[in-house]
Amino acid sequence: MKIRKAVITAASQFQRDLPLQTMVDRDGVQKSALKVIVEEAISAGVEEIAIIIYPGDENTYLAAISNYASRLQLIEQPAQRGYGYAVYCARDFTGGEPFLHLVSDHLYISSAQADGHTKTCAQQLIEVAETENCSISAVQPTRENMLPYYGIVGGRRVTGRSSLYTVENVIEKPTPTEAEQQLIVPGLRAGYYLSFFGLHVLTPGVMAILTEQVEKSDEAAKLQLSPALAQLATRERYLACEVQGRRYDIGVHYGTLIAQLALALSGRARDDVLAQLVELLATRELTGSNE
Amino acid sequence: MSSLVSIITASDPARRNQSLDTFCRAASLQELLDECADLEDFRRRSTNLYERVRALFFLYAINRFHLPNQAGMQARGLTPFMGYEHLLNRRFEEAIDVFLTAQAKDGPNDAICSALAAAYHGLGFQTLANQVRRSVRTVRGDQWMFRIGHPADHPLRIRPELNYPQSTTGASANASNFPILRERTPVRMDLSHSGWSDIFFLGMDYPEGARVLNVSIDLAVVGRDTAPTPPVEAYLRVIDQPVLKLASVDLGASVTITDLSEVFDFAKDYLGLLKAAIIAAGIIPPGIEGSGQSLAHLLERIVGPGLGLEIVSNVNNIPKGSRLAVSTSLLGSLISVCMRATGQAKSLTGPLQEHERRLVAARAILGEWLGGSGGGWQDSGGLWPGMKLIQGVLAGEDDPEYGVSRGRLLPSHHILDDTDAPVEVRQKLQDSLVLVHGGMAQNVGPILEMVTEKYLLRSEAEWLARQKALGIFDEIVAALRKPTLLSADGEATNPVQTIGAATTRNFFGPIQTIIPWTTNLYTETIIERAKAQLGSRFWGFWMLGGMSGGGMGFMVAPDVKHTAQSMLLDIMQSTKEQLDDALPFAMDPVVYDFAINERGTYAELLEGDNAILPQGYYGMIIPVLLRIDQRQLSRSQRDELDQFSSASRSRPELNGIAQLLFERMLPRLKASKDSSQSLDAMLAQSGFDRTQHEQIREELRSGRIGLAQNRLPANATIVDVAGNDVFDASHGSLPNECRDAGIAAIESGAVAVVSLAAGVGSRWTQGAGVVKALHPFCKLGGKHRSFIEVHLAKSRRAAKRFGAPLPHIITTSYLTHAPIAKYLEAQENYGYEGALLLSPGRAIGLRMIPMVRDLRFAWEEMPQQLLDVQAQKVRESLHHALIDWATHAGEGSDYTDNLPLQCLHPVGHWYEIPNLLRNGVLLRLLEERPQLRYLMLHNIDTLGANVDPALLGQHILSGASLTYEVITRRIEDRGGGLARVDGRVRLVEGLAMPNETDEFGLSYYNTMTTWIEIDKLLASFGLTRNDLANDDLVTAAIRTVAARMPTYITVKDVKKRWGHGQEDVFPVTQFEKLWGDMTALPEVDSRFMAVSRMRGQQLKDQAQLDGWLRDGSAGYVEDLCEWR
Repeated sequence: MKIRKAVITAASQFQRDLPLQTMVDRDGVQKSALKVIVEEAISAGVEEIAIIIYPGDENTYLAAISNYASRLQLIEQPAQRGYGYAVYCARDFTGGEPFLHLVSDHLYISSAQADGHTKTCAQQLIEVAETENCSISAVQPTRENMLPYYGIVGGRRVTGRSSLYTVENVIEKPTPTEAEQQLIVPGLRAGYYLSFFGLHVLTPGVMAILTEQVEKSDEAAKLQLSPALAQLATRERYLACEVQGRRYDIGVHYGTLIAQLALALSGRARDDVLAQLVELLATRELTGSNE
Repeated sequence: MSSLVSIITASDPARRNQSLDTFCRAASLQELLDECADLEDFRRRSTNLYERVRALFFLYAINRFHLPNQAGMQARGLTPFMGYEHLLNRRFEEAIDVFLTAQAKDGPNDAICSALAAAYHGLGFQTLANQVRRSVRTVRGDQWMFRIGHPADHPLRIRPELNYPQSTTGASANASNFPILRERTPVRMDLSHSGWSDIFFLGMDYPEGARVLNVSIDLAVVGRDTAPTPPVEAYLRVIDQPVLKLASVDLGASVTITDLSEVFDFAKDYLGLLKAAIIAAGIIPPGIEGSGQSLAHLLERIVGPGLGLEIVSNVNNIPKGSRLAVSTSLLGSLISVCMRATGQAKSLTGPLQEHERRLVAARAILGEWLGGSGGGWQDSGGLWPGMKLIQGVLAGEDDPEYGVSRGRLLPSHHILDDTDAPVEVRQKLQDSLVLVHGGMAQNVGPILEMVTEKYLLRSEAEWLARQKALGIFDEIVAALRKPTLLSADGEATNPVQTIGAATTRNFFGPIQTIIPWTTNLYTETIIERAKAQLGSRFWGFWMLGGMSGGGMGFMVAPDVKHTAQSMLLDIMQSTKEQLDDALPFAMDPVVYDFAINERGTYAELLEGDNAILPQGYYGMIIPVLLRIDQRQLSRSQRDELDQFSSASRSRPELNGIAQLLFERMLPRLKASKDSSQSLDAMLAQSGFDRTQHEQIREELRSGRIGLAQNRLPANATIVDVAGNDVFDASHGSLPNECRDAGIAAIESGAVAVVSLAAGVGSRWTQGAGVVKALHPFCKLGGKHRSFIEVHLAKSRRAAKRFGAPLPHIITTSYLTHAPIAKYLEAQENYGYEGALLLSPGRAIGLRMIPMVRDLRFAWEEMPQQLLDVQAQKVRESLHHALIDWATHAGEGSDYTDNLPLQCLHPVGHWYEIPNLLRNGVLLRLLEERPQLRYLMLHNIDTLGANVDPALLGQHILSGASLTYEVITRRIEDRGGGLARVDGRVRLVEGLAMPNETDEFGLSYYNTMTTWIEIDKLLASFGLTRNDLANDDLVTAAIRTVAARMPTYITVKDVKKRWGHGQEDVFPVTQFEKLWGDMTALPEVDSRFMAVSRMRGQQLKDQAQLDGWLRDGSAGYVEDLCEWR
């Protein structure tokens, strides 16, 4: 299985400015967050990228990633019908091929090395997908207090593979009770679950399921991706993979700040940023709080 | 392998279900001891819960019922105090070790057997409770709640639909009230009563036999409500303060909680159930208890910064004890509303899905365990719609119970469809069934323990009865399937008639065979009367829940249903009036209208103008808000007032709120004034000694008297009596001359009986103020008999046997005189042929609010029975609350906040004999029969005491003034005993023991039965027969002796009833002087005689009744009686 295409979703009405924020990457270059994400995809050998956008955002988005314009296709999502629908909007673009899927509000910093180079999270995932020849989602063990924020997968470890899981169930933002009853993965610490990383390799089977769901539901209904993935798990082999790296959600409070710090501390300017942080801490005026 | 172990481990049901009694009846003492040793070894080895528990109950039963009756068993023995201490602290294994070591050393005896029985019984139930608790905690879906220890860990968030303020027409444009989520839940009734098979352990051990027919119903009280509605409601809304507000409309209580630890303080107020629900729903997870975290932070995490939650419960005035599982339904309703609000149920509104209902039911079990209470597994049945069959399920490999117990903790629910119970049948059921609350509210806890115990022992009669009950259950299920049934002669009959016949058969057959205590005189009287009045239109009776007297059902022909409703109300009311003093009634009887609820628990989101809480809530909250200065009201409070003001004008459900508010703000004082007047009046009438009362108060407050001061000096030497100190009459082999002397005395009319009946048996009904003497406690000779009736029947028999009338005196007090006189008149003295005299008490005390010092002494320094972990926590929290109450109400001040009779107390049985001298009863008796020389004095609850000629003869021949009957001590005989105190043989009260351990060195226990030589007793008062007519002389003589008698301060429980069958128990201080202390007077020649346990045993607690019946004591008493 060869992965040539990537789909990035960025059409949420209230979060569409997030990927346009300017960041400084590991090499000290200023660029938009979107560009960082696009480069993550390209690093993994993707040739064509579709970004699902909110209607009317085309120009601002093109401006943010002008130098990759030739590989890009911007697709407007005509109605705000949920995450699953956004992915569905790329069905013509993917055209029956497997594809890499990224979300536009997550940045990734990999800790995997190969031949002296960093192997990005997307690279790691595509490598496994191409070997295993099936849909695969990047996951990371997450404490149960974060359940309200993520899609969670339940399943079991693939024998002999420490970071690979067969997915049996997927629930979006489960309650702790649902998680405990349906999503426990043997081998994880108590109270920990596998949450989505925002990075997937999906086969055309997903598009088929999404298409069925769009056809079955009425026009106002919202479609989520997790139920489609849960169904995928019943139809074909579907794996989850713990990649070596961390994800940074720029959509939460201080998310961009933390992501920026993480980028800086993993790149060339590490010493400089650290020195400034230490100075900031040392000279910070102590206010009354003892917390 | 030993025989009993092989019964336990048998895989063949026929062998496994063999009864213990059958085996034991044929076994010798040595065989039984050998079996005990094998069982003890087996239960320690076995890893299977069921095997361990059954072995423990076998050991209990052998030690309690079989070993003591064996020939060659030694009666006298001592229980090691260390073992008793272990028992109190629930360290049963250690206690068993201590007792077994003592048994090996001293040989088997009655005392050690009783101690072992208590320890095995305790360990059996502890093992069961631990298993239920473990199952509840390890259920997948509950475990996470025990891991959360910090707000940042909390994984729940409020549903967005609840978390936005919205405008209403009545409030300002940008008002700040939030929508309200309302859950309405029906209660459940059990149409079958299949032998309490919903007890957790039964379901877990015998899932095949655990079946109930459970119906969700709406209720209305006839004559008060217009139509049946779901009786239970729970409301939840977000509020703009970071606090937890809880309100219970039915209990009229509300609280604003700002501190996390307060959520776990269950008994601090009346809101324990709401707190348990919030915890079991995971909003405040159990794991966070004691973490020291801030409630505001936790709420911020769940609801949002600066926000909190308000939860309101409302039970539409359905009285407590309805046997309709109101409190579990309310708990379920509250948990459900909390789970919906935090996204733990998919549907915010409407009904719940099946797996969600199961989850709520499981959480309700957790909540009950947290709150230290417990129900059966069918009690949350109201969450499900309509009629359903709930049954136990064998544990499968995926269940946490697998390999531990045969069945699962949670049963399965099968909702009956139109084939199982067609609409016509449901309608017919509703047309024929009259649901009532008889007014009694009793603790069913002991009954559930008895059921479990008897199930494990497989006693023949009970086991057969259980199988019969299952057969009746099948009949009922079959009857529900057909709208019309054919009778034997081919006639079409209404299926309800068949059901009614089956439930009646069940009640009078299997149910009473398993537990005789489920019925009572009240229930049987109303059934009889209803049958008589309705004739063939009476179709059946059916008991709801644990025992009868509270919630009950009558099935009648549909055309007389309305008549039957009012008729039953009259019958219950008039029967209650007759028995009011004899049985514990909590309220007046009620009749319900009911309707089957076909949708189960159901939620609605009330928004905008509809966001209204129940009327009673406003009755509680608005007066408080109105008292606050306008400018200090928060925005939401102002909006609340605005919205309420507009709603109260337009919404029909708030009709009458103006009146309610008026009542709340300007309460009428009339009622309380009335009761205080009658208390004063009663005190005045009874010759209450105010000077003495003030003196006692002063001494109490200054610490000169009190619980700690009751004790003898610490340097008193207290040792067990030696061989000659006690005359052993326990085997009935007294010399003929004793018998002859006794018979001669009886025949010459020299004897009379005195029954002490001044008390209200605080322990018997936990302070409910029932006249114990009149309590129809047990069926003997085919009928319910009161204590008095039994004593008269014994006197009747003795009188007939010796051909001489036996005068019988019943001593009374201000609490008991009028009820006893009225009752005896109504019963025509039970046809007693001899003289029957009442000796009214001449002394009365006014209860006082206890000193904190005494409460602490009673609860902290005296050995206390430790409870199960959660129940213990609840008790400690209650003790704190009561200590606060005593401080605020004023230590040592008069206790007047209750019914007048509940504020008074009799002053101890010592006074009852002097009363006889003072009130002229003895004088009259002596004038009528100058030959009278002896009295037999006994407690009302010493049922085995009769005028035994041999014992009387022994007393006469010994020449003693007083001969006290004592029995060898068992572990449950607490409160003093016979001892040599500084060389003198005398009775010592438990209150006076300088050290708790001393009592365990005494092998005899006082029965209170005393043979009195009248002239010698008078002499000890400095009187003769001729002086009795001289009031002043008698009074002075009594005062002189009274001054030498110690005054004991005691703390007793008193119930205060309020609302709809609600009861609170308060500790109160009172004082008493006790008859046993006469033995301390050197001039009184007191002797002691050991009698058999069956003769001397006292019944202090209703929980003793079952053992009393089973160990043959009841039969013994019955043989002494001759009924009218």
